[in-house]
Amino acid sequence: MTFPTTAAAGGPLSMGEHEQQSRAIQRRADRWLIAGTGLMGTLVLGIVGLPVFCRGLYLLRKAQRGGLSVRPTMVTLIGFVIILDAALNSIGWALDLFANHALITRTVFTAWGNLIDAGYFWHYNELWIGGAGAPGEKAWVMVCVLIAFPMRIAAAIAFLQMKRWGHQWLIVTCWFGIIVWMGYIFNMTMYADVRYTAVGFPVIGWWAFNIFYITPFLAIPYLHTVNREIFSD
Amino acid sequence: MHDQDRRRKRGLIAFQVFVYGMLIAMFAIQLQMYLTRHW
Repeated sequence: MTFPTTAAAGGPLSMGEHEQQSRAIQRRADRWLIAGTGLMGTLVLGIVGLPVFCRGLYLLRKAQRGGLSVRPTMVTLIGFVIILDAALNSIGWALDLFANHALITRTVFTAWGNLIDAGYFWHYNELWIGGAGAPGEKAWVMVCVLIAFPMRIAAAIAFLQMKRWGHQWLIVTCWFGIIVWMGYIFNMTMYADVRYTAVGFPVIGWWAFNIFYITPFLAIPYLHTVNREIFSD
Repeated sequence: MHDQDRRRKRGLIAFQVFVYGMLIAMFAIQLQMYLTRHW
């Protein structure tokens, strides 16, 4: 059996060759995508990671156009954006939870808190556990860093491998994301006086920074409507 | 389109209206507080 493809310079491919080439290009693109996401996940190196990630996307797109069977672009985007979202949140909150007396945390977090969210300024490092002192904040940090985000990252990795449990658990953990967002925003609003009094950019500053974390809102419609047969057992 | 698909899509649209509506409502409440308090 042969496939009409433009991926190979030398004409049509056999089925085995087609599969081999598809796997090879998928692996190559994934190396760029993983490296790019890893760099962006550090927060500080985000600008460096973006072009690396885009190069991976470009390779996948080129392979698709050439007729090779690679992972659908939407699956790639959703999977990696979810890993990135969880990684970005985890690094910040893990510092607040475990390294709240480090010099970088005491300076950067309180400066950031003073700018847009006094939850990270008001009584910072004054409670028994250290870090953010805003009412309820630490409970959200712990449930996210210890439970929700590790589960989301594991689910997103399996989702990128096109496994069925990855798809199912991404649905579960994206719904977690909705609950986390809603609960967190309710908490912010209830204790708005603590979080916004005397900060540089109250309300608008916080929303402008944090609105990009709504990935689960965006992924849920896709996850519920995609043909689930494309994910294997 | 299959009837079940249509119902699922309608449910998802309702869900999105609800969650984005909640977000906007919370933002609006915070903005309103911002305008009336001396933050």
